[in-house]
Amino acid sequence: MGQIEWAMWANEQALAAGLILLTGGIVAVAGQFKGWYFAAYSIAAGVLVCLLEYPRSKRKKGSTMERCGQKYLTAVVKLLGPLTRNYYIRAILHAALAVPAGFLLSTILGTVCLGIASGIYLLAAVRGEEWRPIEQKPRERPQGGGTMKAPPSNPPPRPPPDARRKQPELGGQVNPIPVEVE
Amino acid sequence: MALSWRSWLANEGSKHLFLFFWLSLNVWLFGKTFLLYNQGLQYYYLHQMLGLGLCISRASASVLNLNCCLVLLPMCRVLLAFLRGSQKVASKKTRRLLDKSKTFHVTCGVTICIFSVLHVAAHLVNALNFSENYNEEFVTLNAANYRGEDPRKLLFATIPGLTGVIMVLVLFLMCTASTYAIRVSNYDIFWYTHNLFFVFYMLLMLHVSGGVLKYQTNLEEHPPGCFNPNKTLRQNLTVPKALGELFPDYTTEPFPEDPPVPEPFAQNSFTRVCSEEPKFQSHFPETWFWISGPLCLYCVERLYRYIRSNKPVTITSVISHPSNVLEVRMVKDDFEARPGQYVILHCPRVSALESHPFTLTMCPTDTKATFGVHLKVVGDWTERFRDLLLLHSNQDTEILPIFQQRRYPKLYVDGPFGSPFEESLNYEVSLCVAGGIGVTPFASVLNTLLDGWKCYKLRRLYFIWVCRDIESFRWFADLLCMLHNKLWQENRPDYINIQLYLSQTDGIQKIIGEKYQALNSRLLIGRPRWKLLFDDIAKCNRRKTIGVFCCGPNKISKILHKLSNSSNSYGTRFEYNKESFS
Repeated sequence: MGQIEWAMWANEQALAAGLILLTGGIVAVAGQFKGWYFAAYSIAAGVLVCLLEYPRSKRKKGSTMERCGQKYLTAVVKLLGPLTRNYYIRAILHAALAVPAGFLLSTILGTVCLGIASGIYLLAAVRGEEWRPIEQKPRERPQGGGTMKAPPSNPPPRPPPDARRKQPELGGQVNPIPVEVE
Repeated sequence: MALSWRSWLANEGSKHLFLFFWLSLNVWLFGKTFLLYNQGLQYYYLHQMLGLGLCISRASASVLNLNCCLVLLPMCRVLLAFLRGSQKVASKKTRRLLDKSKTFHVTCGVTICIFSVLHVAAHLVNALNFSENYNEEFVTLNAANYRGEDPRKLLFATIPGLTGVIMVLVLFLMCTASTYAIRVSNYDIFWYTHNLFFVFYMLLMLHVSGGVLKYQTNLEEHPPGCFNPNKTLRQNLTVPKALGELFPDYTTEPFPEDPPVPEPFAQNSFTRVCSEEPKFQSHFPETWFWISGPLCLYCVERLYRYIRSNKPVTITSVISHPSNVLEVRMVKDDFEARPGQYVILHCPRVSALESHPFTLTMCPTDTKATFGVHLKVVGDWTERFRDLLLLHSNQDTEILPIFQQRRYPKLYVDGPFGSPFEESLNYEVSLCVAGGIGVTPFASVLNTLLDGWKCYKLRRLYFIWVCRDIESFRWFADLLCMLHNKLWQENRPDYINIQLYLSQTDGIQKIIGEKYQALNSRLLIGRPRWKLLFDDIAKCNRRKTIGVFCCGPNKISKILHKLSNSSNSYGTRFEYNKESFS
């Protein structure tokens, strides 16, 4: 159990909880339930949580699967620096966001799920995990090796560069096709 | 690459047919239950109270019953391995369906999640309606205690409500931990949360025992909508004013339009007089019938696996191969395995709770009881396992007799379990494509052929092995050369067609080893060109059915799947067999 990265699971849970908050809120606002202000709040909270949690963090070891199109949000989340990098802050933020949605029946599930996600983030923070952005590595063009300076000037069959300095006809061989020696 | 309908039908047909059958079963169940609660006379009064929410919640519950029953069956691995092995029980088509058992499990799981959402939403509406439409006339039908009771009390203070809420939380935990990203990176989280399924099932048994929804038992004596001369008609019921002021939000409007009373009763109800009050009774929880069978089967199977794997194996030798691969050979009493099967290793000294699957590379035969696995060291479990084993091997510099090698850590083996690669010996011509360490299932097939190739249906084997590192070929170079020589001696040099590909080259080393001349001449640099390969094989094996087996990266597998579905001009059919591992 030593190498489990809890933050990844907390991230999935928080994203799911955000969607649940969003759905519950939309249903309550559309149905004009009593107390629909809480529902409007939960829509906003759900959107915020989804946007914050969409970019996945980079794993310590191994390659991480990116979510589709996450690089745009990564740039935004990176800007906030330590606010998003530290998981203690995320745990407290999620716990705080979850509480007001608990007053309405249709969003109470979102509250509990976000609460669980907040708890797992706390566990991840205690174990010293951090949010790291996934950077795109610049594509390296394969170098030609440095020895290729110019394309060859004579057509094949081409003798190796050393042989061009030696005598062209060694051992009495007559080339059927004349070969130019530079 | 035109899509040949015959190839597609052979490869995908039975899978899609099965899926269609399952889907129609679900739709039929949903529709039947919906109509029953919508139109059934025994639910007439209940339907009046709850409306559409009743029908949707019950219909989704019946779909949930079916899927909770089916989701356990693909995970009974011992049963599936038995079905695969007994050639009389299952035809080849059924065995190929078994390859997709994990996909079916995931499909049922996703269906459970979706319909749980529907079920919960409908019951939330039901709770509101139970509270608002409290029925004073038939008090036993109510779930609430009085009109306007807080619906949250109904949800959290009743057994069905509380168990339902906890089940939703358990489902949430299981769902979020089962995504592909988590399975690939932190398999432990997936495994431990998924074992919460047992809690889910226990809660499900309690959930349905609440008996909140009732049906009417005496339809003959009291047809719904009949005329009761002693009481005022329901349409004239009014709410006392005082009550109306206290709970403005829950004041009843006049009852919603009564659902249309079915024709024969409409004619009779005005003339028919109720002879007695309606009697209501709770349902017998039919969910118990649905889920008890598969749950018992799964538990019995886990118990059987535990008892079978409780005896530790004896490790006979540990061999270290290049490119981080370790071979472990062991013996165990009464252990039988077919080529292509895999086992699950559990070593308490490495980790008390973790166990990992590895394909067998050598199966026990009649003459030799040794079986072996090749494991590639990629994660912390394999690293610690290797360190433990090599530490013990280093202490013995010479080969010691078996009884002195008990200093190896205790190892438990669970299995063997079936895989689609067992079918490779049942085709006349097989194409086996391996990527890197994915060669292990085919190694066991090759070992089996080394013992005796005449007794199998297989007449020609195309063996394609793609590796990044040339040292990797040394894992089975001896085996390949021995097989090649043996077949040459027995005058069947064309039985196996070996092609080795080195996909990434640094240009330095181009031979595997001096003594593996047979392999050096079959080593090609670069990636295989699959389309040409398929055309070549199709041309040499006209009008035959060729089994295609792939164990390697997903990209190769997708290309092979597409090529197997496409047509060729020689009338050859390619049947694609693959199982997903993550």
